Amino acid sequence: MTASTSTSAKDQAIRLADVRKSYGDYDVLKGIDATVARGEVVVICGPSGSGKSTLIRTVNRLEEINSGSIFFEGQDVHAQMSGRDLNRLRSRIGFVFQSFNLFPHLSAVDNVAMSPIRVKGVAPAEAHEKALKLLDRVGLREKANSYPGQLSGGQQQRVAIARALAMEPPVMLFDEPTSALDPEMVGEVLNVMKSLAAEGMTMMCVTHEMGFARDVADRIWFIDAGQIIETATPEEFFKNPRHPRAQRFLADLRH
Amino acid sequence: MIHDLIAIVDQYWLLLLIGQYPNGPLGGLANTLILSALSIAIAFPFAILLAFARLSKYRILRWPVTVLVYVTRGVPLLMLVLWSYFLVPLLTGADVPSFLTMLTTLVVYQGAFLSEIIRAGIVALGQGQMDAARALGHSYFSAMRYVILPQALYNMIPSMLSTFVATIKDTTLGYVINVPDLTFAASQVNNQLLTQPFQVFLILALTYYVICWSLTWLTNVVERRITRRRAGLVAPKRRGQLPISLTPNATEQP
Repeated sequence: MTASTSTSAKDQAIRLADVRKSYGDYDVLKGIDATVARGEVVVICGPSGSGKSTLIRTVNRLEEINSGSIFFEGQDVHAQMSGRDLNRLRSRIGFVFQSFNLFPHLSAVDNVAMSPIRVKGVAPAEAHEKALKLLDRVGLREKANSYPGQLSGGQQQRVAIARALAMEPPVMLFDEPTSALDPEMVGEVLNVMKSLAAEGMTMMCVTHEMGFARDVADRIWFIDAGQIIETATPEEFFKNPRHPRAQRFLADLRH
Repeated sequence: MIHDLIAIVDQYWLLLLIGQYPNGPLGGLANTLILSALSIAIAFPFAILLAFARLSKYRILRWPVTVLVYVTRGVPLLMLVLWSYFLVPLLTGADVPSFLTMLTTLVVYQGAFLSEIIRAGIVALGQGQMDAARALGHSYFSAMRYVILPQALYNMIPSMLSTFVATIKDTTLGYVINVPDLTFAASQVNNQLLTQPFQVFLILALTYYVICWSLTWLTNVVERRITRRRAGLVAPKRRGQLPISLTPNATEQP
């Protein structure tokens, strides 16, 4: 199931090798092997409880793993390393949460500018200027001085994407970015993600938005019970899923 | 009655204000304010450290502090004051001034209470904020400093205020180990007058009330300013933003 193992190590943004994780007796991830190439958009889908969110959270080590390795640009994310090295590594992996997790005590522009200032040591004026550009890019420049509590869910998630982009990560991870949104706000967030993909950003995205998967993904990983049981291009996956579990999943979605 | 009060204040105001100073140690209201301010100023950062230790994943930090907090919260402050007054010189052989004894005791005692408030404020934020900060590359302490504490401390202003007010009122217990504070001065005045205890201690009560009320008022002003800033100017005005106890006596402690 290790698709695109043919890509050379240089082109790999992320490689997962036999990743296993369990909570006590319960195995969440049962040996994940997969690769994300540079510039690739991977959509991870599967039934709830299959380990999708856990998987994506192991990539920037918000979750620890029990065995296996995860390489980000050749660097073993779960190796023994100093806190400083781990922080530096994390700062280069953008992460967008289901529940946005904006900092409610900071305005939108400060949410975006704060980490470049405090983590990377960017000059405040420069960071703010760049933050405004990023807010402009997600269509929220006029909301720069609003606080998260004054923004809609869709707007908050767009600020969260801008916040992640402010660290200039080569890779973006999305953990169900639209699942907490009202239906009418899903589109605005997906549009931002689409434009990111069009610019060649490497993306790993857990989502239930099959329309997005169909239009934007280069590959789909179908995950069930802690294993990737099918990887395919969207075309193959939606037209002709091979695995019975994937067939059932798609059939359920159509109802 | 009013005349009595005015007469007492008129005659003894200097004693009530600064004690025997400059012929003796600084006392009276000045000393009460200094003791209160120092206690709060030291107990607050101390409490943040205690809260960090309580939340630490390392047992070696967590356990001793947990014991300290539980013991301190389970013992009356007067007991702690007497202990440090009699025990510390006995153990160390050093003659510690009563002011310092009282200050240390207050810092430990109120620090323990404050640390639990701060810990609750941090825990109540949930994991998401810490996750978000860590994912952006912040270290644990950077996340605490810039993301967690600004929210946790703000949310806990009403509870912390109660503890600060309690600290001011607890300075009165310094009386039993002869800290020359306002209570001590009032009691001296009473001993000289002998016939007007009600008037003397009414002055004392009023003074404490004004101090505690001022602190409450000040905190409310600061809090309202933060709330207004966070709500932004375009946000609709919300009435009765936070359930704050406006009375200084709403500070119950075991």
